[in-house]
Amino acid sequence: MMKFLRPFSRHTTLIILVVWSVLPFAWAVQTSIKFTRDVAQRKPVLWGYETTSSAYNSFWLGDDEINMYNVLWFILAFVAAAAMIGLAGRWISKGGTNAVKQAVGTLLLAITSVALVRALWIWLSERDQFSLWESEGGFATTLGVIATIFFGILVPILFVVSSFVQRQSGWPYFCTVGVVLGIGLWWFPRVFEVEDEYWFFVNSIIVTVLTMLISISIGVLAGYALARYSGISGAVILIIALAFRALPRTAFVLPYYFAAQKLGILDSRLVIVMALVAVNQPFTIWMFRTFFMDVPKEMEEAAMMDGATRLEAFRKIIVPIMWPGIIATSLFTLLLAYNEYLFVRVLAPTNWTLPVAIVSLTGGESSRTVTEAAAASVSITLPIIIVIILFQKHLVKGLGAGAVKG
Amino acid sequence: MNRRTFWGFTLPSVGVMLVLMVFPLVTTLWFSLHRLKIDEIKDGGATWIGLDNYRELLSDEQFWAAFRFTLLFVAVTVPLHMIIGLGVSLLLDKVTKGRAIYMAALLLPFIVTPVVGTVIYKDLFERGGLIFWLYEVITDSPFAVTAGNVKWLIIIQSVWHVMPFSMITFFAGLQTLPAERSEAAAIDGANYWRNLWHVVLPHLRVLLLFVALISIMDAYRVYDSVFVFAGDRFTEAHTLQVYNVEQVLDPNIGRLGKGYAIAVLNIAGIFVVLIPFLYKSYKDQIAERT
Repeated sequence: MMKFLRPFSRHTTLIILVVWSVLPFAWAVQTSIKFTRDVAQRKPVLWGYETTSSAYNSFWLGDDEINMYNVLWFILAFVAAAAMIGLAGRWISKGGTNAVKQAVGTLLLAITSVALVRALWIWLSERDQFSLWESEGGFATTLGVIATIFFGILVPILFVVSSFVQRQSGWPYFCTVGVVLGIGLWWFPRVFEVEDEYWFFVNSIIVTVLTMLISISIGVLAGYALARYSGISGAVILIIALAFRALPRTAFVLPYYFAAQKLGILDSRLVIVMALVAVNQPFTIWMFRTFFMDVPKEMEEAAMMDGATRLEAFRKIIVPIMWPGIIATSLFTLLLAYNEYLFVRVLAPTNWTLPVAIVSLTGGESSRTVTEAAAASVSITLPIIIVIILFQKHLVKGLGAGAVKG
Repeated sequence: MNRRTFWGFTLPSVGVMLVLMVFPLVTTLWFSLHRLKIDEIKDGGATWIGLDNYRELLSDEQFWAAFRFTLLFVAVTVPLHMIIGLGVSLLLDKVTKGRAIYMAALLLPFIVTPVVGTVIYKDLFERGGLIFWLYEVITDSPFAVTAGNVKWLIIIQSVWHVMPFSMITFFAGLQTLPAERSEAAAIDGANYWRNLWHVVLPHLRVLLLFVALISIMDAYRVYDSVFVFAGDRFTEAHTLQVYNVEQVLDPNIGRLGKGYAIAVLNIAGIFVVLIPFLYKSYKDQIAERT
């Protein structure tokens, strides 16, 4: 074996590569906590410099006087509350008597539904005009859109979510964790004065969650059928999907732009979510199909012997086993939706998500500074890193599974 | 599974793809034969002009410049990141201590928002950045991003961003290589490189092909990093996608019809690579079913 491949050199090489990978982030972090005058010096001050949170402050908050420690406490309080509920939920679902479980589960379910209804109500009442309705021929189009959304999308979502709810005892806690964080997001701008970027962050979250929910729900059904059906049409669908995955994005985004402009729904989250679900669908069904191929047919055949229909077998046997695969695919969808730039830039001239916001910061005419761009980069990356750390196992597995078999 | 159940299960997904993918492609093809400005969409101002958009494009110097840069980009980034990725995965395969940490750190550029990755990379080369400063210390003159070097900066950034993908894929492939094969080769007197060439690479052959095809397609349609790096300042470093979007969104141009025509040519270009790939996958699918 060559000398440089000896263990010590292996580690040295890997460390050099790690430095190469991580260096831009490390540099952005240290730039984001410096004063602009230190950054602009001819020679950078590498240590012993004064730190400041003003870059973060001016990216997120409207008022420079806000004490960033208060903001930090606010965030920590909500994250801690969510984590406590999650842990309590895990503890109750592991130990505890059935009566306690049911009582707590019902209570959490009640809180979740009230919060969701309230959120939906706020969202609807803040949208003062549904512009699709008012455009020419809008009535028929609107009815068509609503019917399609209801039967094509809502029913699959309810189906998949309910099959999850039946089998996983921990779900009320997941919901509650979500609700606590949601309340935090909703409360924050009422406590601190926020910049537009905060609302772009909220947009990012809404778009990501909706895209994940819709594309996973309809994708898991199709992926299952494609793994089990042996007819030729299955092969044709898969090949066409593969071709779609490879096509340049502009071939889709320009027609969406045209249609959205025509229908007057440009700049709405709806059109971004629809576009992202569509372009993500080929990838989703291929990935689910790969996972389902590993699940032996006998599993649901045994259930169907006992008189269950295919749908029941899928719901009661397959979805619970598939849970790791669903998480892995959801992670990729999450990354795709949260990271998307081109679609949002074209389809949302003002109602951006975070990636578009940061690019506008670094554009030529912007008066904002290098430190602020660095602070923005760090704050956009943090949520992703947290999610990835929580689910790293699934991500690596998904990358491996998708590739080795695809 | 019978046919009716199959269509019942796939209908939502196929419906979404039909309405939101097939239909847009048809409109793309149709309106690429029209003159259509973005500010006239609402009035329905499309006029039939036949193949004029295409004729104009084929004699458009900017289009060909974008095409050439796209080809250069694909030709350099794809082999480069695959070679580095393969090397790193071989190293990771040999290392056991701290593998998870190396892996997490090396995956970071792939997971981060591409736009953010580009912004922080670009800031290294600007005032206050690490490379800007090092360059000044070494050569005593400030570093400037120019039309000459911006293309190479984009390429380096892209390799940095995509390398983890090939690394993790090859690593997953290496995990499935039975240890006995390398051991047998070692007993037969094969050194490291002969083992790599005759045992490891043949095992990875399918994956190498897969990663190459996926990367070619993804590199061909690169948008985010190029747009952020080049912006309006370096139009000569625009790839086909960036050129395509700018022809539509730039308020001074705003030509949707021409944009559609570029998209059609892009699709035609990618199909050159795509058709053998699709053909092979189709045969695999048929083989699986019989």
